Amino acid sequence: MISDGMAEVLRLLQRDEGFDAAADVAVLAAVTLGVTGLTVSLATGGDRAELMWCTDDAAGSFEDLQFTLGEGPGPEAVRGDAMVLVPDLALVRPERWPALSVEAAGLAARAVFCFPMGIGAIRVGVLTLVRRTAGPLTDGQVGDAQVLAHALAGRALGSVVPGPNGAAPADSADALLHAVVHQATGMVSVQLDVSLPQALLRLRAHAYSSGRPLTDVSRDVVARRLRLDLNGNGDGNPLPVSDKD
Amino acid sequence: MAREQQLTKVFVEVADSLIDDFDLIDFLQRLSERCVELLDVAACGVLLADEHDVLQVLAASDENTRLLELFALQHDQGPCVECYRSGRPRTNIDLADPNASQAWPQFTPAALQSGFLSTNAIPMRLRGRVIGALGLFQTRDSALSDADTALAQALADVATIAILQQRTLAHSETERGQLQYALTSRIVLEQVKGILAERWQVTPDQAFAAFRAYARSHHHQLSHLARLIADGEFDTDQIPRSPRHR
Repeated sequence: MISDGMAEVLRLLQRDEGFDAAADVAVLAAVTLGVTGLTVSLATGGDRAELMWCTDDAAGSFEDLQFTLGEGPGPEAVRGDAMVLVPDLALVRPERWPALSVEAAGLAARAVFCFPMGIGAIRVGVLTLVRRTAGPLTDGQVGDAQVLAHALAGRALGSVVPGPNGAAPADSADALLHAVVHQATGMVSVQLDVSLPQALLRLRAHAYSSGRPLTDVSRDVVARRLRLDLNGNGDGNPLPVSDKD
Repeated sequence: MAREQQLTKVFVEVADSLIDDFDLIDFLQRLSERCVELLDVAACGVLLADEHDVLQVLAASDENTRLLELFALQHDQGPCVECYRSGRPRTNIDLADPNASQAWPQFTPAALQSGFLSTNAIPMRLRGRVIGALGLFQTRDSALSDADTALAQALADVATIAILQQRTLAHSETERGQLQYALTSRIVLEQVKGILAERWQVTPDQAFAAFRAYARSHHHQLSHLARLIADGEFDTDQIPRSPRHR
């Protein structure tokens, strides 16, 4: 179960109009998770990441460093599809991240915890928590951080579609429990020759504009009753061959 | 085959897998198939709780989308959720009983429509914590005996051990990390079913059958191969397509 503090963070996140106004939310999240600071980096294609949240210099410097060097808990979490928890950087074997172990000594970060943000093969980015003192996260904090990473991923992937009055997203959270949504994402990515995240956005856009649940739209795509065009529109008819390049 | 022989075979298969590098989803799927044989049930699924305490399907005895969807319906209602929350098995639930449709208004009719008459849920336990549930469906009116339930629990425990035993996770020190990795692998697999289905103009189920046959015969781990395909790093023309293809 998530903590009351994290529930409040998620409420603020949902109400928030955009990431630019999210600085206070990020600080609250760091406090809730018992860390000094945190960053959220978005994968922008390629290896460079765009810093979306950054609560303070210590967290920002560490994030910059590991993405410049291309090694560290963050890149490892992204590549390995699993969280990487480092309760004490001083105890990490130097050969694990050779360059980072040299450079990080000058930084204020002592404990670092990285949580990948994504949906299956869709890698959205990484949430990195930084603490000036060594020590593990509690099990509850790990759970909270996972929930936050998941919410941020969902937001990043749905942000193209504004909900009614900037509120609810076009689909409910449990739509992503359905295999058919992921299958449809894969199909649309091939049909439109776009990336998986782009394909999911097109599906969501279509669900939103047609006022139907994402799961229903996905079922139609998988059954080939619906084929989206490049604008995310579908005419409801299956098209055996796309007339677009 | 006598049950002892079957059990011996499964035991050897499980032990072989767990000491070697193995693919979790593939392992759990085979285990689900063994559950079906050993317990004489019609379908079996492995459900794992995510970070929101919501049950997600990790593997099923039959990879058809319809069955996966039926298990997915149990994310917020049904015997598996109750079993997950209470930590206790729920066995021999008659789906035709009005109480069942009252308790689980979406799940029960969907299960009946799929031809199932009764269902069971067995907890997956880890050191006093419950991490998921094994769901079993029957199409015939035959109750699970106490011995069957004990065997089902042992198989559920094997599934739990396998999840925590994944070798590929050298750097994922935490149990939560391993659970997350397992759930992510499952989603990648579904995305790849879609990619292959569209490339080959077949159904996702047919695409998966061809994909799995190729992975098994070439000793690729399903999850690893799926990841390569999703990242565009594997030429899928190497995989023999379904006979239905052009």
